[in-house]
Amino acid sequence: MRAEILLLALAVGACTWAFRVLPTRADLSALPQGGWLSRFLAATGPAAIATLFTASALPMVQGGAPVPLLAGVAAVLAVFGLTRSVVGATLAGSAGYALAFAALT
Amino acid sequence: MTDSRPSSFADGLGAALPIALGYFPIAFAFGVAATGAGLSGVEAFALSLIIYAGAAQFLAIALVTGGAPLIVAAFTLIAMNLRHVLYGPALMKRAGPGASRRLAWFWAFGLTDEVFGAALGQLARGRRFSEAFMFGLGLGAYASWLGGTALGAWAGGGALAGWPVVEAGLSFMLPALFLALLLSILSRVQLPAIAVAALATVAVTLAWSGTAGILAGMIAGAVTGVANRRAGDAG
Repeated sequence: MRAEILLLALAVGACTWAFRVLPTRADLSALPQGGWLSRFLAATGPAAIATLFTASALPMVQGGAPVPLLAGVAAVLAVFGLTRSVVGATLAGSAGYALAFAALT
Repeated sequence: MTDSRPSSFADGLGAALPIALGYFPIAFAFGVAATGAGLSGVEAFALSLIIYAGAAQFLAIALVTGGAPLIVAAFTLIAMNLRHVLYGPALMKRAGPGASRRLAWFWAFGLTDEVFGAALGQLARGRRFSEAFMFGLGLGAYASWLGGTALGAWAGGGALAGWPVVEAGLSFMLPALFLALLLSILSRVQLPAIAVAALATVAVTLAWSGTAGILAGMIAGAVTGVANRRAGDAG
């Protein structure tokens, strides 16, 4: 194993650990319910996941794969709507995308 | 669903199932890509073991094989992972004032995007926070990530070249997981934050870079939540 890759992994890993762990120590007990920081933190989760979905799907739109993308999204929405299962919806989305890709190639 | 008993380690492992199913093929693809780009299997596995952040790891392959100086590569990857600072406080706020964080130095190592999303989803559906639950959730996801990486590295570069449909399906696994997680925590009151986050991500990604787009989307969405007087009670 090359030393520079190990060093890179250790530096990035240490900072990522700090980013994930240290903020959990923040004392939130004094936060007023409905205060601006409470609202910020409550919106962080949905905003973060919406961002990550957009960021992961955007290259597919830019790469000219709207039909498989639409098929995958439709499969996720349909299966989640029917079952409320994150597992089922994820697998269905992947299968829907692959089937549409196969149909177009 | 509202469950009054404390959430256990096994509950966490069960909640990790969708993440594990999503992580394994993506980590497999990472192992294949890393060895295909010239990293050894041990180096690929070490990146997953130590960094444990998918997008940063894929970027690390490009930086290392592209000959980027160590300091530049490190700062780029660290900046990419900066978004994680938002997750801990958001999770602990949702967990409630009595939630223990004594062992957070250990379980929060596994607080990835998907683990954070899944934990929020479980809490939104009535699951009670516990550190044992977070251990189970994190361990299930981490084991899948490491297992997928090891198998991909063992299979070697080009393992998926003859299977374009499988490769296409795997490429949508992560977006599908994010969308399903978003649906699991969706509430009407957070729709403005979600819409603004998506729009800001697209705009800043197109105008600047993907990493900047992710940071901008998260912050713009969360700031939109501040303007929404009902959001603080919606969790």
